[in-house]
Amino acid sequence: MPAIDFEGRSVPIHAGDSVASALYRDGVRILSRSFKYHRPRGLYCVSGDCAHCMVTVDGEPAVRSCVTPAANGQRVARASAWPSPEHDVLVSAWWMRALLPVGFYYKLFAKPRWMWPLAERYIRRVAGIGPVDTTARPGRILRRNHHPDVMVAGGGAAGLAAALRAAGRGESVLLADEGAIGEKVAPGPTRSAIAKLLASARAHPQVTILEHTRVTGLYDGPLVIAAGEGVAHWIHPARIVIATGAVEQHAVFPGNDLPGVWLGRGAARMAGVHGLAPGRSTVVVAGTTEALEHVETLRKSGTVIRLVVAPAAIAPHVPSGIPVVVDGTVVEARGGRSLRAVVIMGPAGRTVVSCDALAVSLGFVPRDGLLRQASIGIINGAGDVVEPGCTVARAIASGEAAAERPLSAPMSVVPGVGAPPGGGIVCTCEDVTTKELSAAWDEGYRWTELLKRYTTATMGPCQGLLCHQHLRAFVVSRSPAGPAGAPTTARPPARGLTMEEAAAGAEHAIEQRTVLHDRHIDRGARMDWAGAWKRPASYDDPLAEYWAVRRGVSVMDVGTLGKYRVCGPDATEFLDRLYPVDVRTIKPGRSRYGLLLNEAGHIFDDGLVAAMGANDYFVSATSSGADAAEAWMRDWAETWRLRVHIVNQTTALGAINVAGPSSRDLLARLTKDPVDNDTLPYGGLRKITVAGIPCIALRVGFVGELSFELHHPRSRGVELWDALLAAGKDLGIRPHGLDTLKLLRLEKGHILVGQDTDFDTTPGKIGLESLVRMNKPYFIGRSALERLATRPPQRRLVPLRFAGTNAPDEGAQLMDGDRHVGYLTSSRYSPALECGVALGWLATNGGSGPVRVVAVSRGQRRDQGEVVSAPFYDSKSVKLRG
Amino acid sequence: MALLITCPNCGSRAYTEFWFGGELPAPPPAPGAPVDASAEFGRVWYRRNVAGLQAERWFHFAGCRRWLTVQRDTRTNAVHAGD
Repeated sequence: MPAIDFEGRSVPIHAGDSVASALYRDGVRILSRSFKYHRPRGLYCVSGDCAHCMVTVDGEPAVRSCVTPAANGQRVARASAWPSPEHDVLVSAWWMRALLPVGFYYKLFAKPRWMWPLAERYIRRVAGIGPVDTTARPGRILRRNHHPDVMVAGGGAAGLAAALRAAGRGESVLLADEGAIGEKVAPGPTRSAIAKLLASARAHPQVTILEHTRVTGLYDGPLVIAAGEGVAHWIHPARIVIATGAVEQHAVFPGNDLPGVWLGRGAARMAGVHGLAPGRSTVVVAGTTEALEHVETLRKSGTVIRLVVAPAAIAPHVPSGIPVVVDGTVVEARGGRSLRAVVIMGPAGRTVVSCDALAVSLGFVPRDGLLRQASIGIINGAGDVVEPGCTVARAIASGEAAAERPLSAPMSVVPGVGAPPGGGIVCTCEDVTTKELSAAWDEGYRWTELLKRYTTATMGPCQGLLCHQHLRAFVVSRSPAGPAGAPTTARPPARGLTMEEAAAGAEHAIEQRTVLHDRHIDRGARMDWAGAWKRPASYDDPLAEYWAVRRGVSVMDVGTLGKYRVCGPDATEFLDRLYPVDVRTIKPGRSRYGLLLNEAGHIFDDGLVAAMGANDYFVSATSSGADAAEAWMRDWAETWRLRVHIVNQTTALGAINVAGPSSRDLLARLTKDPVDNDTLPYGGLRKITVAGIPCIALRVGFVGELSFELHHPRSRGVELWDALLAAGKDLGIRPHGLDTLKLLRLEKGHILVGQDTDFDTTPGKIGLESLVRMNKPYFIGRSALERLATRPPQRRLVPLRFAGTNAPDEGAQLMDGDRHVGYLTSSRYSPALECGVALGWLATNGGSGPVRVVAVSRGQRRDQGEVVSAPFYDSKSVKLRG
Repeated sequence: MALLITCPNCGSRAYTEFWFGGELPAPPPAPGAPVDASAEFGRVWYRRNVAGLQAERWFHFAGCRRWLTVQRDTRTNAVHAGD
């Protein structure tokens, strides 16, 4: 016989069992201990709403056992009790509750200050619903996208009717329900009606049904997130119908959370669906006509109905032979670890009735967590969620209407409130009593939103399904006029969502590869993300890569650079407005480094502007900014209505940087074109043919050595790469990766936009004023820089030198004595200079700032540093002009 | 798909094919023209953030890679007309 492993023993399971029903059949009555007071909790709603039945299943905490199908071999355990959930000494918290007043964690252990860390450690251990397994595991949850015309949340009568109506009109429909559809409903006319609708929906080719799938939230788009078995569904519908039904009203009286106290539908479900009686003798509170069906269902399961408490309108319909108290109320439930008796207040006075089960049906509260998240008009509610307690026929009509309703008129459903709660536990998820609400009210928290935040009522796993109406009723009873009792804001997730489900699909990122990707892998490169690109961070020997550039020759795949051809009659005018450098004076065959500024004067990208001919330019941008730079250029070309063509060649062209003192010798072996310093000087460019491949060669200086950036047709990239490496073998050629590049450029004091710059970095703050021609009449950001020029910058990016072989951490904090004065953005050990070199932001307060600082790295490591001038390496920049 | 944007070059497409470029700002001063510093500061830094119909820019990155201006109701995501 199939069985689950429950805390080390085997519990048999029957067909159709939930985890909860299997445990209940086996005699387990206490499924959890409450969050704060460790009160015993057993089955209550049996509809996936309350937190009473939460257990740990296969290592995952906070699983609602009543809606989780039992499966052979499942490991199930309860949490947060000591020594056991049956005999939990931590329940002493309840008897000492006078010492744990509302908001106690703000007050009780706050002084002396050393108390709090100790208290926090204890509270973390005893509170909650089980520890989270924090061991990393690969994503087992897939993300799946759906694009239906209509999304229906909830597979009851209203939801199915809505789905069928929409499908009948030819629309595609996706319907999700958190359980197996219809199986939560006890046998009876409602169940039969749902079964009939379900059969039609299943047969309809336009309807897709997802069962065991929790709709957790609505987002802009609209986007609906639903968590299914091993799949996170991202649903992008045109319209949404919310038909999530209603939950029976939570009754508040002393002892209302004892095991043995059930919501009527919950007891009926356990009896009717699983054939398990809620107890030996049961008292039924029949405030709804549906409760009369429950009486029948419960009787069939073998319990004795001791008493029915019903209003005058319903009392005559109670089956004969059952004692009835007309117009009575339950005022108390008594018992220790489970229910022993209830106290009824009737017209004739108090009666104590001994029983071990109480089924309470007082009315219905909409399960409207999703509906209240909706603020857009394409979302309709249907059935119980808008008309709690409606008949099946009404629900079907409502569902059909919701499928038809036009897309205007945003819906807002603000249900009324009933009587204020009596004594007892209002919020069972967070253990908030009526008395605690009163205390919070007296402390001045006199609004639903404030009471919610201070007491945490409605903030637990059920997200206020049980207690939101009581919270509002409590406020309205004390502040009848005015807005204090307004509903609190509903936010996603409406149902629990695991971190794994929330992260589903995060690993499905699109990976951009250069044409040389496989060559890097073959050489054993460690690949790293750079925006959407995968780039080699390093090959086998970073130090050898470094020395190859500084002393020999090396190649780097820079095919990821943003590359654009900008031409047309207004090309010069266009680029001159775009860049703060002077573009008009760039002669054909020459290039200039430029920053890109936004209208606020802040740097967002940088690159080269190279003149190919008159009004014909080759422009580069950073790898990660390539797309944004294109969008930026197109936006302005259009705004100014200039005659200019912009062709994005980022992926059409490959690029290889050939760098190092021997790079010219290497090129000369592969080309007949002149590459000498007069024909192709630093800052120059020229079309040359290398190894038979047409290239644009740019003399660049980012790494601080003689270097040639070869832009070539992407299709010839592998050929060029192989030719360079083969021809340079005797020169000790080897490729270098991003790690080496970052060190090489840092030795030259060159910034990396985004690493060394912030969102509000102006050229002046990083010492690049020389790249801004304020004497030009116009460029983007000019007027902002003019305005900012009246205020000297309060901080500057400065070069720093650190003694020793161990450079401070990137991100290390800079101290001047006791004063915090900045932080490092780049920091490396320089093998050539045999010291640490860094760039960092330093508070200058309009002046020059301190010269000697201490960098504090992780673990309180301290390094003495000195503000110097850049470049660190080859300060006259002779080598790169070589 | 609910939020559909009609691109003049590519037709009706899902919003996921576009980058959002924000509210359509006031036109910038003509290059080289005298600039009123405070008006320019407001144009660069302030947004209206309306609840209702808003003219805004979208860049069709997964299609023609051109900018377009649409009128979108920020409350309903209904896209009303091109520019």
